[in-house]
Amino acid sequence: MTQDVIKVTINNKDIQVPKGARLIEVCRDSGFDIPSFCYYSDLALQASCRMCLVRIEKMPKLQTSCTITCTDGMVVTTQSEEIEKAQRAMVEFLLANHPLDCPVCDRGGECELQEMAFDWGGLEERFTEKKNYYAERYLSPMVANDPQRCILCKRCTRVCDEWMGEDAIEAGGRGANTVIGTYGGWLDCSQCGNCIEVCPTGTLLDATYRHQARPWELAQTVSTCTYCSDGCQMSLGARGGELMRVVARDRYVNGLNGEFLCIKGRFGHPFVNHEARIRTPMIRYKKGGKLIPATWDDAIRHVASKLDSIANKHGRNSIGIVGSPRLTNEALYLLKKFATDLIGTDNYAVTDSVNLTPFFANLGAPLATHRDIRYAKTIVLIGGEPEELQPLTGKQIRQAVRNGGARLIIFNSVPIRLREQASQFIHIRPGAEEAAVLALAGGATDSLVSRKMGIETAELEKVRGTINETEGDLIIMFDGSLSAAAQSALAQLSYLLRADNRRVLFHPLPLYNNSIGALDMGMTNGAIDVTQMLDAAGRGIRAVCVAGSFLPEQLRGREESLAKLDFLMVQELFETDTTSFADVVLPAASFAEIDGTFTNNDGFVQRVRQSIPPVNQSKADWMITDQLARELGVEFGFGMSASAVFNEIAMQVPGYAGLRYPLLKDESKPVQVKHDIAVQRDISNELETVRTAVEQMDESPEKHNDTPDVGHELFKIRTLTDKVAQFHLLAAGNPRPESLNVSPLYQITLSDDLRAEAVVAGD
Amino acid sequence: MSIITDVIQSTKAIIQGMGVTLSYIPKRKWTVQYPEEPVTVQPRYRGQHLLHVDENGKEKCVACFLCAAACPSECIYIIAKDDPRSPAERTGVDERFAEVYNIDYGRCIFCGYCVEACPKDAITHGYNFELSVYNRADLLKTKTDLLITTQLQSKNYRVAFSDEDVDSEYKEV
Repeated sequence: MTQDVIKVTINNKDIQVPKGARLIEVCRDSGFDIPSFCYYSDLALQASCRMCLVRIEKMPKLQTSCTITCTDGMVVTTQSEEIEKAQRAMVEFLLANHPLDCPVCDRGGECELQEMAFDWGGLEERFTEKKNYYAERYLSPMVANDPQRCILCKRCTRVCDEWMGEDAIEAGGRGANTVIGTYGGWLDCSQCGNCIEVCPTGTLLDATYRHQARPWELAQTVSTCTYCSDGCQMSLGARGGELMRVVARDRYVNGLNGEFLCIKGRFGHPFVNHEARIRTPMIRYKKGGKLIPATWDDAIRHVASKLDSIANKHGRNSIGIVGSPRLTNEALYLLKKFATDLIGTDNYAVTDSVNLTPFFANLGAPLATHRDIRYAKTIVLIGGEPEELQPLTGKQIRQAVRNGGARLIIFNSVPIRLREQASQFIHIRPGAEEAAVLALAGGATDSLVSRKMGIETAELEKVRGTINETEGDLIIMFDGSLSAAAQSALAQLSYLLRADNRRVLFHPLPLYNNSIGALDMGMTNGAIDVTQMLDAAGRGIRAVCVAGSFLPEQLRGREESLAKLDFLMVQELFETDTTSFADVVLPAASFAEIDGTFTNNDGFVQRVRQSIPPVNQSKADWMITDQLARELGVEFGFGMSASAVFNEIAMQVPGYAGLRYPLLKDESKPVQVKHDIAVQRDISNELETVRTAVEQMDESPEKHNDTPDVGHELFKIRTLTDKVAQFHLLAAGNPRPESLNVSPLYQITLSDDLRAEAVVAGD
Repeated sequence: MSIITDVIQSTKAIIQGMGVTLSYIPKRKWTVQYPEEPVTVQPRYRGQHLLHVDENGKEKCVACFLCAAACPSECIYIIAKDDPRSPAERTGVDERFAEVYNIDYGRCIFCGYCVEACPKDAITHGYNFELSVYNRADLLKTKTDLLITTQLQSKNYRVAFSDEDVDSEYKEV
């Protein structure tokens, strides 16, 4: 598509710009710096700060460049005495009510108002009137608020509305008394904290990092989030070996998520330095005995001798190797190598609840990146709940609909919150997601599918109509509720639905940060999966080495399995259900303490960088595997270098060919893995399987009619979020404390444990 | 050169030198008999730091880290903390205070930049100059050593009055 080019003259310099370009962006790109507070390229226009004033010829007054679209022959002046006078006056007005409490303000040092006042502020304040005073308060356990510092740029309200679709925060009051606030004074939202991130002053602040450090004291390391599969880039702020806070990467640099982070990414980090971290390797010398601290050498020697004797006695296949989808690619690759090359067992698996192998084996089109989602024309979402489980994807969908005019079609048994953005919400019966694939692939009559889904036939016709009208990107998203046959059929849909002016892309919604990476590393290719391995414990499987822990849902109903094993080794951060049966527990290092890579649901390989030295005696998971291999007599030869492991991954795993750490350095240009694109093939067998399954589907289940609560997944207490005291408050329904001026942590006691954690968190 | 000339010249030199020494005996003495008598320090002398408290006994420091940022030898270490209690119960004047405030006198160069940087006038240079210790680790002074309410003050100095001409005795030299 060719764009019309027009000519603009800025400060006597002729510049060619595409038609429709925004003046402020053009000026900045051409090297003319224009100050602004309220302008935010990804949000609706506001023009309230009036800092970006420019003189445009033939216009009567100074104009706000953030609201001007360039027109042909426009003559603009960005620097003159008149403009500077206006800008200086604006800063003076902004500071009229802004308190001079920079020393106690957590934003001090990274405050946009400070910078602006430095460049455009006067030395003396001419206003002698009393400033408006509002006491500092807490809006939620996560968000602290100091209303008097507000300059009313309304970035927070726009972010809350446009990105999160929540409208939880809004400006109230009139004139000089306008303040940013919430409905009812208490923030009852998904607590993403993006309002904190975009706030140019210290009005909205991270309550978990309140008054703890100053930004220039923190060593910032760019890394990848360890929670969901979106793989947001973030900046870890550490001081003296302690992870103090997490913020998003600079919005101008970060290609994937801009300044977006969700509650888990932003506030879920205190587990890293938590006192409950396993400190040393521990050995249980006798079944039913206690775990006794040991040295690394002793523990590794103990594991090696046990594995040796079990392999000799019961054969190599009696040893199971289990990885976690939270580990880095390096750790998973080495674990697979350890299992197949060294132990020689077929029994290796990942503790993921979803297996996407059939989907990737039949993949007919590339994975959609989050940028593709933002500019997609039609999005089909089958099952899943991205706003809770993959918040960045949820945000991109919302923006695609709101700012890009995309059409969103949702097949879901639950009226998820995202349906408010949907152009068509198809409320299906629980478990009928497969039928959606069948309907899209045309493998059965509409009457069968709609009867099983419990919907009108016309709905399906409307879906097909929407897809056929689509010009641009069609993105199909799905979660793990699909069967293997349905996944294979879905992966081939791109060939059926594509057209000359329509591209089909896929966006799977796995649950863990490295679910895709585990698949790429081949950890899912084992002979059995995790539940089968647990069922075979004590019979076929005698010893298991787990990096991470089994999921609670995998252990449910199999509580006895782990006790039946002759030997269980666990690499973990915390004591879990799995470690309570372990014969050897090895302290593993968290994502903040290691180098490595994660692969997200875009297929982007992104760097995880070491921010702090390993806590206590912990070691990176791949180093533990490496050391164990050495004890068993095999030298992998990676030394201490994660990049050496990655080099081998690049050689062995086809999609990663040619990748090196230096190529992954720039997070503004993430690198996508080249997943093999399968050629079009006949999928009638798969459709037949799906159709049989759909035909046998029960038509009796009632549909869920209640919209799930905000945060029903986000605030869930799991091993890692359990270590954040504030999460307990949120999980308990985010009760409003008596006083808003003191952190709710100090006021609300849910249990003794929580109190103890609250004290630790307050430190 | 004969030995006699040598003796004569040496004797001459000794007498000349002793003449200078003897000429000083009747003059005014400016050696201070420290520690028997106190040293006079000037009002703007930069001795050991003092952390001040306000009229209610609250610590003035709000742990803004500006002193640590200004310090050229990086000898100031602070851990800030949130104090959720009511203003009457608080340790400091604000809800933000320094839980830990350490100055490493093994590194401090007494330049006074921290004092200039302080927006709350919480840190100043005191007059204590007796900082020698037997153990290098003891050069690290903690908040107790620095707070004006708890710092041990030496009796071995007096501060000159502002109109007192302390410099004059040196000028005689």
